[in-house]
Amino acid sequence: MTEKEIDCEQALTQIFEYVDHELADNGRAAMEHHLHTCQSCFSRMEFERRLKEKVGALREEKVSSKVTGRIKGLLDSF
Amino acid sequence: MSLSKKAFENEVMDLLGRLHGVARRLTGNEADAEDLVAETVIKAWRCLDTLASEDAFKAWIFRILNNTFISELRRAGARPRLESIDREDDREDEAQFSIFEQMHQPFLLWFSTPEQEFVDKLLREDLDRALRTLPEHYRVVVILSDLEEFSYSEIGETLAIPVGTVRSRLARARGALQKILWAQAQEYGLKGKRSTEHGCHQHEAEASTPEAAQPLTHDHKGNLK
Repeated sequence: MTEKEIDCEQALTQIFEYVDHELADNGRAAMEHHLHTCQSCFSRMEFERRLKEKVGALREEKVSSKVTGRIKGLLDSF
Repeated sequence: MSLSKKAFENEVMDLLGRLHGVARRLTGNEADAEDLVAETVIKAWRCLDTLASEDAFKAWIFRILNNTFISELRRAGARPRLESIDREDDREDEAQFSIFEQMHQPFLLWFSTPEQEFVDKLLREDLDRALRTLPEHYRVVVILSDLEEFSYSEIGETLAIPVGTVRSRLARARGALQKILWAQAQEYGLKGKRSTEHGCHQHEAEASTPEAAQPLTHDHKGNLK
């Protein structure tokens, strides 16, 4: 099956959905086909993907024992 | 639905790090974050009957956290921050800002482009500062999407907005974040390839430059020539 062809304008409107893994299979295939043939859109996608990764690295999961203790105490009181 | 006390405890403890992380980003300080998480857990326990299914627990409790945060802002009379939350759209130029378009030079190879170097060299504290500077309604979608890896559907459920709004708000939020990062970079002395063409479509800009005639550029459809 051949993917539906999209142009740069269409690709750019979907670039965040692509890096967020929100495109359905058909849309994703069409986007990937376009990215294989268009260096500019590929570079833009790479830029957005790397920036998203950088922002994602700000995530903090460490919780102090004080917070953990307070929440456990709360849960015990229910 | 009925969720046992033990199951509720397990869900809360599994998500505690993420709840606390989001709370810290929303409130901006440790003490308020701790209070926000505690208040969220109390409210969640009290309205457990509003949980549709165990699978929906994550979006459900983050929605309570977000609503509790907004209620607290209202109680504290934090008008500027509330105006940000209530605002739907910002100016188009801000929403469409792209560092890529400021820096990309099409004749360079993809692995050594200025915009990729820009991202690689971004410091954690610069990103942290930029994120803190974002208006509330933008910051929360970036936190949920990029830090907490929520799907658009989960963000929609958490913020009680349609998926289409999530999509457009996230795009605007990223534009606004890049605009802040770009301003920070310019404070450090970085200059773009063209300072007067903000918002200009990349391919139109390329077509107007001499590089458009060089190998590895694009035709009007964006295909490699």
